[in-house]
Amino acid sequence: MKGLYMSLFDWNFLSPAQSTFIGLGNYARLLQDPTYWNALWNTLEFVGLSVPLIVGLSLILALGLNKNLKGGRILQFVYFSPYVLTVSVVALIWVQLFADGGLGTTLVGSFISGTPLNSRFWAMPTIIITTVWWQTGFYFAVLLAARQSIPERLYEAARLDGAGPWRMFRDITLPNMRSGILFVVIASTVFQFQVFGQPYIMTNGGPAGSTETLVLYLYQLGFETRELGFGSAVGYTLLGILILVSVLNYYLIGGTNE
Amino acid sequence: MYGIAAVFFIPFWRMFQLSIAPQDIVASGEFFWIPSDVTFEYWQRYLFQDLTIYRWAFNTLLIASIATLFVLVVDSMIAFSIARLSWPGQGIILGIILGSFMIPAYVNFIPLYTLINDLGLFNTYWAIIFPVAAGPLGVFLLVQFFQDIPTELEEAARLDGFSSFRIYSRIILPLSTPILAALGIFTFVTSWNQFLWPLIVLNNDQLYTLPIGVVTLRSVNALAPNVIMTSLALASMPLFIVFLLFQDKLISSIQMQAGTG
Repeated sequence: MKGLYMSLFDWNFLSPAQSTFIGLGNYARLLQDPTYWNALWNTLEFVGLSVPLIVGLSLILALGLNKNLKGGRILQFVYFSPYVLTVSVVALIWVQLFADGGLGTTLVGSFISGTPLNSRFWAMPTIIITTVWWQTGFYFAVLLAARQSIPERLYEAARLDGAGPWRMFRDITLPNMRSGILFVVIASTVFQFQVFGQPYIMTNGGPAGSTETLVLYLYQLGFETRELGFGSAVGYTLLGILILVSVLNYYLIGGTNE
Repeated sequence: MYGIAAVFFIPFWRMFQLSIAPQDIVASGEFFWIPSDVTFEYWQRYLFQDLTIYRWAFNTLLIASIATLFVLVVDSMIAFSIARLSWPGQGIILGIILGSFMIPAYVNFIPLYTLINDLGLFNTYWAIIFPVAAGPLGVFLLVQFFQDIPTELEEAARLDGFSSFRIYSRIILPLSTPILAALGIFTFVTSWNQFLWPLIVLNNDQLYTLPIGVVTLRSVNALAPNVIMTSLALASMPLFIVFLLFQDKLISSIQMQAGTG
C-alpha cells in the first residue's frame, strides 16, 4: 500500500518529508514515456513467446515421462535440475553458449553477423531460450503430478470402447489435467512478467533497448536514478496488468467447465 | 524423451568442459565438445587459493538457513493459531495473508527499500531474511494441512490438560513433519537463489551472496570463460547436493503448491 501512496508523489529519497504530491502526475508521465512503452512491449513479447513454449514443453515432458520409460528417474532429474540453479548461474552459462565459440553462436552463425546477444533481433529469443531451459522443470513437475492423478481405469475403459490415442488425449487427459494446466499457465505468466535477472545479466537491456523489460526499468528507476515515486507507478501498472491477465486466463481455461 | 534430456544436459556439459579447458584453447574461439587438453588449474585456484567463493557460500548458507528456520517456526505458529484456535479478526488476517499471496514481490521492493533504510538495516543479512520470512506461502500451505488433522486428537489432549502450546508442539508439529520438511527445502532453495533483492540491499563484497558474487567475477575475468565457468560450477555445487539428497521433497513441495493454488 505504501507503494501506491508513493506513486502519487515526486518522492525524495533522502528526505521523504520534502516529497511533493503530484497526484496522478507519475502516471501521466508514464503514458508519454517511450522507454516505458518499449519495456512494456518487450515484456509482452517475452511473455507471449516464453509461456507457450514452457507450457507446451512441460506438457510434452510430463506426458512422455508418464509411460514408465527406462531411466525415468534420471530423466526427471535432468529435466528438473536447471530449476535449482540461481538465475545468475543460468544466465552466465548461456551467455557463454551464445558467445564467440559457443554452441548457439556456431549454430546460428551463418544467419547473422556477430553474436546473437549483440543482435537487436536475436537477443530476446536468446533470453527466451535460456528461460525455457531454466523454468520448464518446475512446471513439468506440476503437470507430471496432474497426469499421474488421473485413474488408469479411465484409459482402460476407453481402450475397450476402441478409442485411439488422440481421442484419449482430448477426452480424458486434457479435461482431467485442466486445473493443473490452469495453474501452470497462470503461474508461469505471472512469473515471466517479472523477468529481471536474465536481461540484467545477459544484455542489461541492450542492444538499443531491445531487451529492456518492465522490472529492469523499475530497477533502474528505483535503485539507479532513485526516482522512487515514478518507479512505484511503473510497478503498479504491472500489478494491474498481472491481475487482468490472471483473470482472463482463468476464464479462458478454467471457466468453460465450471 | 532421451533426446530432450540430452539437449537439457548440454549447458551443464559446456560449463564443465570449459572449466577444465586451458586458456589457449578457449582463446582460439573455436567450438569443441571435448577439450583437446585438460587442466584443473582453475578448480585449484578457487578451491585452495582464492577463497572468496567460500565466503559468499557461507553468507548464502547463513541467510538461507536462518530464513528457513524463521519460516518454519513463525509460519507454523501463525497457521496453528488460524487453523486450530479461535480469536476475533481471524478471517481478516487470513484474508490479508492470502491477498498478499497475489502481489508479486517486486511491487513491494521500493516501499520495502525505504523501510529497510529507515530501520538502518541496509547492508545487513536481516534485510534479506525478513522479507523471505514474511512470505505467505508457508502459512497458506500449513493452514490447509492443519485443518485436516482430526480434532479428536486435540480434544483428547485438552482433557489431559494440555495447553495450546503443548498441543502445537507435541501433537500438531510431529504430525506435520512431511509438509514442514517440504516447505523447509523449498524455502531454502528459493532463498539461496534470490537475486534481485540482495542485489538491491547489499553493496559490500564481503557480504555478497553467491548469486550476486559470481556475477561480479565475470567483469574481472571477462576474457577467461573457463575461469567464469569454474566459479559457476562451484557455485551450483551446493544446491545440486541439496537437490540430490532431497529431490522428492523439493518436487512434492512444488506439487503441493499447485494442488492448493
